Amino acid sequence: MIELHDVSVAVPVWGDGGRQRTKQLLTGVTASLPEQRVAVVGANGSGKSTLLRLLNGLITASAGRVLVDGIDPARDGKGARQRVGFVFTDPLSQLVMSTPADDIELSLRKRIRDRKERAARAQAVLDERGLGDVAHQSIYDLSGGERQLVSLATVLAIEPAIVVADEPTTLLDLRNRMDVCEALLGLPQQLLYATHDLDFAAQADRALVIQEGRLSFDGPAAEAISHYRGLMASGTRASGRGAPGAKAVGGA
Amino acid sequence: MKPQTQLFGLYIPGQSVIHRLPVGAKYLLVLLGTIPSLLAQQWWLALAVLGIAAAVLMIARLPVRLALGFGWGMGILLALIVGYHSLYGRPLVGLTLATNLLACIWLSRVLTMTTPAPVLVDALVAASRPLDWVGLSSERFGLAVALMLRSIPYLVGLSGDVRNAARARGLERNCFASVTPFVIGAVAYAQRTGDALAARGLGDDD
Repeated sequence: MIELHDVSVAVPVWGDGGRQRTKQLLTGVTASLPEQRVAVVGANGSGKSTLLRLLNGLITASAGRVLVDGIDPARDGKGARQRVGFVFTDPLSQLVMSTPADDIELSLRKRIRDRKERAARAQAVLDERGLGDVAHQSIYDLSGGERQLVSLATVLAIEPAIVVADEPTTLLDLRNRMDVCEALLGLPQQLLYATHDLDFAAQADRALVIQEGRLSFDGPAAEAISHYRGLMASGTRASGRGAPGAKAVGGA
Repeated sequence: MKPQTQLFGLYIPGQSVIHRLPVGAKYLLVLLGTIPSLLAQQWWLALAVLGIAAAVLMIARLPVRLALGFGWGMGILLALIVGYHSLYGRPLVGLTLATNLLACIWLSRVLTMTTPAPVLVDALVAASRPLDWVGLSSERFGLAVALMLRSIPYLVGLSGDVRNAARARGLERNCFASVTPFVIGAVAYAQRTGDALAARGLGDDD
């Protein structure tokens, strides 16, 4: 389960004249997320990615506390990263080796010492995701959807308890988007995902709307999407203009 | 072949005698083939090493275009080397340097095109075990080299993209329009790679 207790994230930025100030990326976010599928929606720059990156310790909260299955990523990043698999928006950012098989073997290096066993396990992971045929192809020769599915496979290879996906379908065409959505929604792990695809968000059990770093809505996906559409229609953006009457809502 | 894969080549599965050679023997071949020639800087030695490299790649039954080919960027670099030295009345020096450079690339392909990357990394990690005795990490060293193999082709591709973007804006002669985006892109790539490694727990102390 994921728990956020009054979490805030602030970072230093340098403005005109070289003066340093603080930019608030997230402010006072509180939520307990036991649901199987949780979507996070919000405008560009609203804080979605910041929220997700708190969960595996890529970012540390400036205030408040984050717990992932009882583990505080700020204190035990390694433990958090063993439980949380992270899928990035751009698979080319995630895939650090030249071929899918090599990349999955890299993920398994600490777990499986024997090289042949590691190679067999990597092939098996790809076969399970229907990617066995591309195991030894260059990642540059794969389609966007294949790359994202390979990214997902590298994450699943270490058998995380929770999968976090940061806008996993943003760079994909419709068909590839459908393939990746289907793969993610079929996972047995708890899934937390940020997305601009409202059809994808509608598949969640619960959804959070982040607006200007604050939790604007927290509840059933359909209602959250409706709230989000209202915000967008009224001209609310992450850049600083708040919609009249918008306020942080805690609880479903 | 995309720029991202053409420099060092990608592993091509096979059953040739070169594929079946132990990875240590292949590393030794690369070292013995390149270092003496680079140090001696003799045209006949460079040519001999180039010939041996080509022969070994053919024995490995690798596709000729993939094994021996190189992109126009490398071609220009080689031509520049020869041209520069020819300008100063030393054409043989330029030819020797260019031949040695090409021989190094072809010999490195003997390794990368006939050996799976995880095997290369395993061998590097094993060879660098003494680093563990002095508080460093042989695993991180192996990972760093693997990332280098992955990153150089990416950066070559990035430079091509940046060049095309500058050309599209009519700025192909503008140095800033070529260099600045490349540097920014390279740094961004490094940051993203770092995030990806951190997210996967690679580099977390055991």
